Amino acid sequence: MTGIPRPGEKSDEQSRDLSRDAAERMLVDTSPYLSCDDCFDRLDEYVEQRIADPDYGDELMEVHLAGCEACAEEARTLTVLLS
Amino acid sequence: MTIVDNVSADVGGVVNDDEWFRHLGDQDPAGSAAQRTLHDMLVRATRTQVWRLRSQLPGAGPTDLEDLAQQAADDALLAVLRKLDTFEGRSRFSTWVYKFGVLHAGAAVRRQAWRHREVMLSDSLPVVDHDHLPSEVAEGDDLVRAVRRAIESALTPHQRRIMLALLVEQVPIDVLAERLGTTRNSLYKTVHDARQRLRHALIVTGHLEPQSGRRTS
Repeated sequence: MTGIPRPGEKSDEQSRDLSRDAAERMLVDTSPYLSCDDCFDRLDEYVEQRIADPDYGDELMEVHLAGCEACAEEARTLTVLLS
Repeated sequence: MTIVDNVSADVGGVVNDDEWFRHLGDQDPAGSAAQRTLHDMLVRATRTQVWRLRSQLPGAGPTDLEDLAQQAADDALLAVLRKLDTFEGRSRFSTWVYKFGVLHAGAAVRRQAWRHREVMLSDSLPVVDHDHLPSEVAEGDDLVRAVRRAIESALTPHQRRIMLALLVEQVPIDVLAERLGTTRNSLYKTVHDARQRLRHALIVTGHLEPQSGRRTS
C-alpha cells in the first residue's frame, strides 16, 4: 500500500487486489536458493558467459533472476553494456 | 547523452583492461589516470542504467538524469575502491566495474522515484466483492483464489506484509529494505521462504503439480 497514487495509478485498494500476474509472481520457484549478494558476486561472470555462449547455463543464477526483478534488471543492463 | 567509449584505451599510459587498474591507489600520474578511467567507466554504466530506467522519473529532464548518473558513479567509485581486493579475475575488470555502476544507478533511480511515496505495510488483501471485479481478477480464476487462500493460511504476518509490498504493490526491494532498515538479502529470503510455503500449499490443494511444481490450471 502506498501513499498518494500518481495520475493514472490504481488506488491502494485496487492495487492490492490480487491479479493473475501477481499470483504467478508469488509462485515462482526460487529453489535452489541464491541470495541477492551472491547473485551480484556472480553477475559479471554470468553475463560474460551468456554473451559468449547463449546456451551457457547457471541454474542458481537463472532461478534467482527469474524471482528477483531488481537483479534481473541489473543483468539486462550489464548485457546491454557489454553487447 | 554522451557515452564514454573505449575507456580502457590509452589513458595516461595505462592502455589495456588487464593492467590499468593495477595502478589504482598509486600516488603518481598512472594512479591518477587509473582513477579517471575508473570513474569514466562507472559514468558509462550509471548513465546507461539511469537512461534505461528514466520512465520511472517522469518529471526528470536530461540535467536531472545526468546529475543522478554522476552521483551514482561517485558512490559506485567508493564501493569499487573498497572492494578492489575482492576482484578475482573471473570476468574482465571492466565488466566487474560496470556491475557496481549499474547497481548504484538502479538504486538511485528507484530511491528518487519513491522519495515522496509512503510505503505502508498491510498483511491482508482487501475483501473481494466478486460482483464488481474486472473479469481478469479473481472471480473465475481458480489459481488466483487458491493463492489468496494460501496467503491467508500458509504465510506468517511478516511474510504476508513483505510479499504484498514487493509482489502486489511492487515496491522496489531496495526501497523497501531502506524504509524497513533491513537488507535486500533479508527481504529476498523472506520472499523465497514465503514462495516455498505458497507452492507447498497449492501442491497440497492440487493447483500445482507435486514434481515439477507446474501449474495445473
